[in-house]
Amino acid sequence: MQNRLRVLRAERSWSQQDLADKLEVSRQSVNAIETGKYDPSLPLAFRIAELFALPIEEIFVSPSHRSSKAI
Amino acid sequence: MTSFTPAQRAHTRRILWLMLVYLIILPPLVWLHAHRHIGPAFSLVMAIAAALPLLGVFASWGRYLSDERDEYHQSLTLRRIAIATNATMGTAIVWGFLQAFGAMPLVEAYWIPFVWVVIQGVFAGVSYLSRGGKE
Repeated sequence: MQNRLRVLRAERSWSQQDLADKLEVSRQSVNAIETGKYDPSLPLAFRIAELFALPIEEIFVSPSHRSSKAI
Repeated sequence: MTSFTPAQRAHTRRILWLMLVYLIILPPLVWLHAHRHIGPAFSLVMAIAAALPLLGVFASWGRYLSDERDEYHQSLTLRRIAIATNATMGTAIVWGFLQAFGAMPLVEAYWIPFVWVVIQGVFAGVSYLSRGGKE
């Protein structure tokens, strides 16, 4: 799933490790989510959204929304 | 450099201790089996003693999955276990029929979990290399 995690992190000058520490996950998890290799669970997605004080849909791009745009 | 989660470190420590116990226990048991006439009751005790550390290894996998708080690592492990289980069961079935029809020799059943562990290791290595050895 595409997301804006890398951009949001960069805006705050956080490293992947900084973000991982704030979310209490491994740096590998942050990297996997940023690169779209892993879709976080709903609780983790909510933690990410709360950390950035943004709605989930402003961080993660819905796959159906993306495909409908492509059509 | 790869960093490990606390659950991974605990799991690795448990595995190393269990393997150490296994390596200490096994040689005398093999020697006793080869050089002394052992009754059925003591044979049972010996077999259980040899199996216990390896049973501990599988219990440790269960404990790891329960302890792991990092959902990404947990999902990777579950996927690895699913692949290793499917591949091992497939190998066991094919080997079983080959053996039944006389095309392959009899293999001790304890090799099945060994194959399972090896396939997991191979899959972990392939996954690591496919990510460019970065994670």
